[in-house]
Amino acid sequence: MTNTIQILSIEKTGKESSLQKEHNNKSIKIIDGYFFSTNLDYQKFTKISKLISNDVSQTILTKKNVNKILSSYSNFNWVVEIKFLPGVTDNIATTVKEIIKDNLKSSFKSFELGSTKIILIKGRKEDITKISKNEANPLIQTIKIYPFKKYLNNFKKNKFKIEKVKLPKKKYSKKEINLDISDYRLSLIGKLGIEENDKSRRGTLGLDLESLKAIRNYFYTIKRKPTDVEIETLAQTWSEHCKHKIFSAKIDDIQEGIFKKYIKGATEKIIQLRKDNFCVSLFTDNAGGIEFNKDWTICHKVETHNTPSALDPFGGAITGIVGVNRDCLGFGKGAKPIANTYAYYLADPNKNYQLYRQKNNKDPMLPANFIAKGIISGVRVGGNCSGIPTPQGNMYFDDRFAGKPLVFCGTVGIIPKKIKGKLSHKKKANPGDIIIMVGGRVGKDGIHGATFSSEELDPNSPVSAVQIGDPITQKKMSDVIIRELRDENIYSSITDNGAGGLSSSIGEMAKESGGFIVNLEKVPLKYNGLYPWEIWISESQERMTLAVPPANVKKVIKRFNARGVEATIIGKFIKKEKAIVKYNKTEILNLDMEFLHEGYPKLNLKTSYPKIKKEKKKIIKKSSLIDKLHKLLSSPNIVSKEFIATQYDHEVQATSIIKPLQGEGRVFGNATAIKPLFGDEKSIALSQAAYPQYAEINPYDMAGCSIDTAYKNLIVSGANSKKIAILDNFCWCSSDEPDRLYQLKEAANACYDYAVAYQTPFISGKDSMFNDFKGFDKNGKSVKISIPPTLLISSIGVVDKISHLTKITPDDGDILLVLGNTGNELQGSVYSKIIGHEKTKNPVVNSKDALRTYKNFEKANKLGIINSAIGIDLGGIGIAVTKMAISSKKGLTIDLKLKNKISVDQFLFSETQSRILISIKKNKLANFKKIFKASYYTIIGKCTGSDVIEFKDIKKIIRGKISDFAKSYKQNIKGL
Amino acid sequence: MNVLVLSGYGINCENETLHAFEVVGFKGKIVHINDLIQNPKQLNNYQVFAIPGGFSYGDDTGSGNAMAKKIMTNLYDQLIDFSLKDKLIIGICNGCQILVNLGLVPSLNKKDPEVAMIENKSGSYECRWVEVKVNNNKSPWLKNIITLKLPVAHQEGQFMIPFNLLKSIKNNNLIGLQYIDHHKKLAKGQFPFNPNGSKDDIAALTNKNGNVLAMMPHPERAFYHYHVPNWQNNTSKKFGDGYKIFMNAKKFFA
Repeated sequence: MTNTIQILSIEKTGKESSLQKEHNNKSIKIIDGYFFSTNLDYQKFTKISKLISNDVSQTILTKKNVNKILSSYSNFNWVVEIKFLPGVTDNIATTVKEIIKDNLKSSFKSFELGSTKIILIKGRKEDITKISKNEANPLIQTIKIYPFKKYLNNFKKNKFKIEKVKLPKKKYSKKEINLDISDYRLSLIGKLGIEENDKSRRGTLGLDLESLKAIRNYFYTIKRKPTDVEIETLAQTWSEHCKHKIFSAKIDDIQEGIFKKYIKGATEKIIQLRKDNFCVSLFTDNAGGIEFNKDWTICHKVETHNTPSALDPFGGAITGIVGVNRDCLGFGKGAKPIANTYAYYLADPNKNYQLYRQKNNKDPMLPANFIAKGIISGVRVGGNCSGIPTPQGNMYFDDRFAGKPLVFCGTVGIIPKKIKGKLSHKKKANPGDIIIMVGGRVGKDGIHGATFSSEELDPNSPVSAVQIGDPITQKKMSDVIIRELRDENIYSSITDNGAGGLSSSIGEMAKESGGFIVNLEKVPLKYNGLYPWEIWISESQERMTLAVPPANVKKVIKRFNARGVEATIIGKFIKKEKAIVKYNKTEILNLDMEFLHEGYPKLNLKTSYPKIKKEKKKIIKKSSLIDKLHKLLSSPNIVSKEFIATQYDHEVQATSIIKPLQGEGRVFGNATAIKPLFGDEKSIALSQAAYPQYAEINPYDMAGCSIDTAYKNLIVSGANSKKIAILDNFCWCSSDEPDRLYQLKEAANACYDYAVAYQTPFISGKDSMFNDFKGFDKNGKSVKISIPPTLLISSIGVVDKISHLTKITPDDGDILLVLGNTGNELQGSVYSKIIGHEKTKNPVVNSKDALRTYKNFEKANKLGIINSAIGIDLGGIGIAVTKMAISSKKGLTIDLKLKNKISVDQFLFSETQSRILISIKKNKLANFKKIFKASYYTIIGKCTGSDVIEFKDIKKIIRGKISDFAKSYKQNIKGL
Repeated sequence: MNVLVLSGYGINCENETLHAFEVVGFKGKIVHINDLIQNPKQLNNYQVFAIPGGFSYGDDTGSGNAMAKKIMTNLYDQLIDFSLKDKLIIGICNGCQILVNLGLVPSLNKKDPEVAMIENKSGSYECRWVEVKVNNNKSPWLKNIITLKLPVAHQEGQFMIPFNLLKSIKNNNLIGLQYIDHHKKLAKGQFPFNPNGSKDDIAALTNKNGNVLAMMPHPERAFYHYHVPNWQNNTSKKFGDGYKIFMNAKKFFA
């Protein structure tokens, strides 16, 4: 009899090797443990062991052999046992249960099991503690450290345990909340949550006093007290995350708010100016949609998952990527996800920031490298397991992300324009339609996620806000929707269960029909004991909500079940504009839809011009040009991100056409492209850009640079300038402070100006307004760390022909040219950070000049005049030239006999916007000149095909070997 | 000529795999594993059985293991029967891992899997292009091919083969493909030419008849010329190397 199955790999695994490397070659062995809630007899043990292991590569430990086998590896003295906390998603356990159920059928039905990682180590106790800290997150896992002997003892005495979620059995009785209380006590409800009978608080609602007063007034007029469910629902629906109150608020003299005026306003203006509207769906749906070709629409959405990723980097990031995948599944009648994008803004993984959420070194922030690694892996597992290519992304480092990492996850989807003759992006839940929840079950995951991402990260941030994605459950669900149901037009509407869970998805869909009635007791649960309000707002992942006409209900449920996916009727949509929720026939929520969605008090914001800290001059460190190039190339913001590209599958779906690693020398590109349909040569080009380094210098220019770069990268890749759309993701800090709001307004204003100038519409966006950390440093001093305001612009464009797609590799004899003018714009640049700077400015985008360059580039490219091209960004011309050489493994000669009044360093490293480095064949020069006669360009050298880059000054020639540059560029990022 | 392309539980390369077969002239269908279990007789309508790449069951309990166990429990005899006929079976990436876990390759002792797929030596997921040379050119899948440039994308691509078995695999010429370096010589375990540290640079195995091929690289992702990295330098051909594998399947039945 035993209650565990423990399996170890005979040979050293990659994981074991990397652990040993990280911790100086200690003997380490990892055991996959499965802890069962019941004892297994010999027969079951043998059978199950065989099902979940491989006898060629693995060994099963038994009471008899455990001593002998383990001692053959090393003289272990410590054991670290890592298990998930009860209720945390355990994907491995789910699979094992399925295997057992399928194989043992009825003979072994009722059991629980948990997967466990057991690490055996030979070493000192302090090392073991360090390893366990690196391998587990105490927020979602329990870590036990004990002597090896005790482990053996446990083995022999069956002392391994799994803890199940044991919620107290409670009989639910409707809970009414008295709001007729003092302002102080009212505000406590908003800040700390509803008070339970035992005086404990449920956790922050994120409701301010004004909102609570609005709720009180509403219930005065309908002459009753609110229920707990009603308050929880309003908190979710009115959260900053769901309603974007700051973007819609009156701000200074802008009555309609910055979203309507600057973002939506830009798109409306562009549509009015252009006769060729290619926008299909704007702002209202889960993603924004544009026309791909005459039969297909593509959509794009980018989300952030910052706070969850700060608490549990892996879980936060995987949930971020599979969550935004669902935004595509929930676009129109359901778009198929065809590409993922990512952008990470992180603290230096090589630094130890030592931040704590509470005084006296309690409740520490996770180390920066743990956060970075976790985030990178989370998106890897989410993207790879879902079979969605992840070609496009970037990573940027700055100390100010130490309190909050920014994790942007995006997805592109594709959907036929029409399904059975009806426009696919239109959907409407009709009165009488049945509400069906499909996919995963509901647990306590992510309770208060929506309300809490609107708040700053402080000691009261609830730990239950963390969820872990289960990409396989989602993949199974997604296959049924996209491949089997969608094209039958069998459901009326569909949306994703994201922030706010059912309360949010059903609440939103019901706007289409009028209202809804939901029976919460019908919702399938992961474990018993959840309160109705928890079921209603839980953010358990992998769920979609469908509106299905009654006649189709059976068919829909049958189809999901046949694919191993749960589908449950939980209510219906009604015509009456009422939101009604029942639990075992007791009505626990009954609100007017109008109040639910629009009853929140509108903010009235004021901004003020911020004090700008003057940047101190930094002495320029004397070093040679080659040395400077090496320093820049190996700096974390420029160095190759190849190690991410190779662990993110960008080839799946066989659509990759411009890959993340470009040229034989594998340079990490700033735009990528996929060709989504086998029968059409059109491609989708993707890029993104953000310039947090300019935020405090000039937020208007910051936004201008982001739009310019994101747009330029697509032009350079070969996209049709008439078919480029952009997305905005504002990640701000302290958005209740007037000077931060000033920066916000400035950035949004620039969004309008540049989008309209470039005629590139915004189609979707999202904001996250409070990316601040309030806590303590290692000396117990209270600190606040705010991220620099960061506006990520993601761009998506259509490339009409394969022949328009460009490459970054020049050929022997090519002439090199820089398109666009270069100024002394080193402020905020990588050069100024690493080498230093004197009097200089930040880059300012001149849209007229830029557009002239882009139009001419597009024309020249279509005529086949451009042989290779690369957008010039971080590190300026110097780095762009070096990247061209590294990618092609071909030498270049660069002429530094400059004609204008600019120094060599300013010329090479200035980060002036709107410039492109290109190469053309000699015989194309005359044609080139004809096209570019009215725009700035400089011939800067040629491609020699040697193995060096030569910089020719008036006095001397400086040479650097390409292979040396490649080495610097491909250095590992310290700490990762 | 009909091909059945398996799907479900996290398999995810079924569309592009089917497309490749269709372009060379097959008729095909994507069939969910549960539908196949419900009606295994439909296998009679097909000449090729393809298990595409993906992440069945999220690689939990080892890549390919859970799906292999599902097939063993519900479809094993039918699949063995299929492999013994004049028909073709291919497993790509996750499909390869599934075939190995089913013991359909190398299938020298019939019972139980004899080979294991283990984690890449690098310890990380590897999505990159490699070159392989054909070893067993008697397999209908690999006839008249010398080398291929294909992408791999996997976490567990290392073939682990007990010493004695490796000997008989070699004696029977069951190594399908081997990783080679940029001089077209065997990679000898050298990264990144051999992306996973596989012994003897093994990238694919076959059974004795050669009609079952389990390969880690993805031919369907190297099907058109524009799939190949830096294709802009060579736009003369329409297809990439992966095409050859699918064409061979067609030729086998032609």
